[in-house]
Amino acid sequence: MSSEGTNFLYPFIDAEESDAGSLLADLASSAEAKGRESGRLRLLTFDRTASLLDVIATGMAEQFGNGGRLFVFGNGGSSTDAGGVVSLFRTPPWGQALHARSLVAEQAVLTALGNDVGFELVFSRQLIAHARAGDIALGISTSGNSTNLVTAFAEARRRDMLTVGLAGYDGGQMASSPHVDHCLVVPADSVHRIQETQAALIFELWSRVQAALASKVGSPNDN
Amino acid sequence: MITGKESAVSRTDTGESAASGDVGVAGVPSLKGDLARDLAAAAMALARRFAAGATLWCWSPRWPEHAQHVAVEFVHPVIMGTRALPATAVEDPDPIATLRTLVSSGDVLLVLGAAGDGAVRSALSRAQAWGATTIWIGAGPRAPQQGSAPGDPVADHVLWFDEGSAEAPYNGAFVLAYHVLWELTHVCFEHPGLMKAAVAECVDDDHCITCSDEATLGEVMGSGPAGARVRTAAGVTDVDTTLVDPVDPGDLLLIHAGVAISSVDGGGA
Repeated sequence: MSSEGTNFLYPFIDAEESDAGSLLADLASSAEAKGRESGRLRLLTFDRTASLLDVIATGMAEQFGNGGRLFVFGNGGSSTDAGGVVSLFRTPPWGQALHARSLVAEQAVLTALGNDVGFELVFSRQLIAHARAGDIALGISTSGNSTNLVTAFAEARRRDMLTVGLAGYDGGQMASSPHVDHCLVVPADSVHRIQETQAALIFELWSRVQAALASKVGSPNDN
Repeated sequence: MITGKESAVSRTDTGESAASGDVGVAGVPSLKGDLARDLAAAAMALARRFAAGATLWCWSPRWPEHAQHVAVEFVHPVIMGTRALPATAVEDPDPIATLRTLVSSGDVLLVLGAAGDGAVRSALSRAQAWGATTIWIGAGPRAPQQGSAPGDPVADHVLWFDEGSAEAPYNGAFVLAYHVLWELTHVCFEHPGLMKAAVAECVDDDHCITCSDEATLGEVMGSGPAGARVRTAAGVTDVDTTLVDPVDPGDLLLIHAGVAISSVDGGGA
């Protein structure tokens, strides 16, 4: 690895490389470094969002307690995070199961909307069909600028939902949108590191929602 | 703002000693010691398989969103200019039958699942008969290591979170593991000399069928002229099943010199 800076002059060096040992050692060191970097970002983000997490969790627990449902959406890797949110809230490893749905779960709906009205409307049109006042909209993005999320938040506002965003970088449009009640921003510019901390934020949020619900008397979600 | 060098191997931040199983910040296991080394080895094996034409199959019975996330990482990389690689998430009511049909010899099967999941163990053990390299991302109590005989329901590469483990599928630990797996895999492609087929053989597997006379694992496809027709990593072959009769399709057999010498628990067909 140490000679990599000049290897472009001698392409046969890389092509003839046969001892994997040094690369494996470098890879392991790199894995550790990335883990540390991910951990530092997690600490920084939790430090900055501690009180906001409580505000959001309290608000979500209140909505759930009043029969509100959670609708989650995102693109690409964030769509799988949306699936993770639903899994966590609806089939939790412990605690109370809550009404949560992913707006990326149905291929027929997604492709119909994408084909007929455009991909920028695939989430907002589903909210028009499903959402009602008192529900929760949770949109996950790394850039904070995904058009279909920004559009969905505007629709969610019109329908009087509690709106929560997760974003990276500087929060993008989601951080400044009047339609997003609360935006949790992971201040980094690596998509991977952002998503790792977003997953941690989601888990923390879920834990606090569970704690808030558990502190109430009776079953808050008996619909 | 924390910046991330997403694809480059860090050459500076390696000063800390690596203690296995350290718990990182916020109660999340970090990638240290054994796990870091396991990730490195898995990335190297995966890159070699990709270089030889493999497809990466991703499956998680409990957390299908993770399998989809792994697939999208490889197919649509977040870093522009990074090559797109064939990875597919499998979701099916009968995942074993589906994987049996889709997975070819030389492919890679990545499973995210708990140690106690019978379907996970079944898929991982059968993958050996299918000729696939296996990567297992999991958390919690470790799968018992059952020695080195072929047919063990243990993956070629185990990426395991022992501590803080119940939360690992949910709190970003799994995500971190497969993000780093992706990143390291692409670093390997910068070393074409190490991606050659000749180097790839006999390095990662304990039971290389081309240079060992150990028994190989086969999955029964149906009856054959000598007893049963079985699928092995090297292809379809007919074996004598006198010693293990009766056998049924889906059974796993240890085969030596054309003879099935014992049955292996495959966790159901």
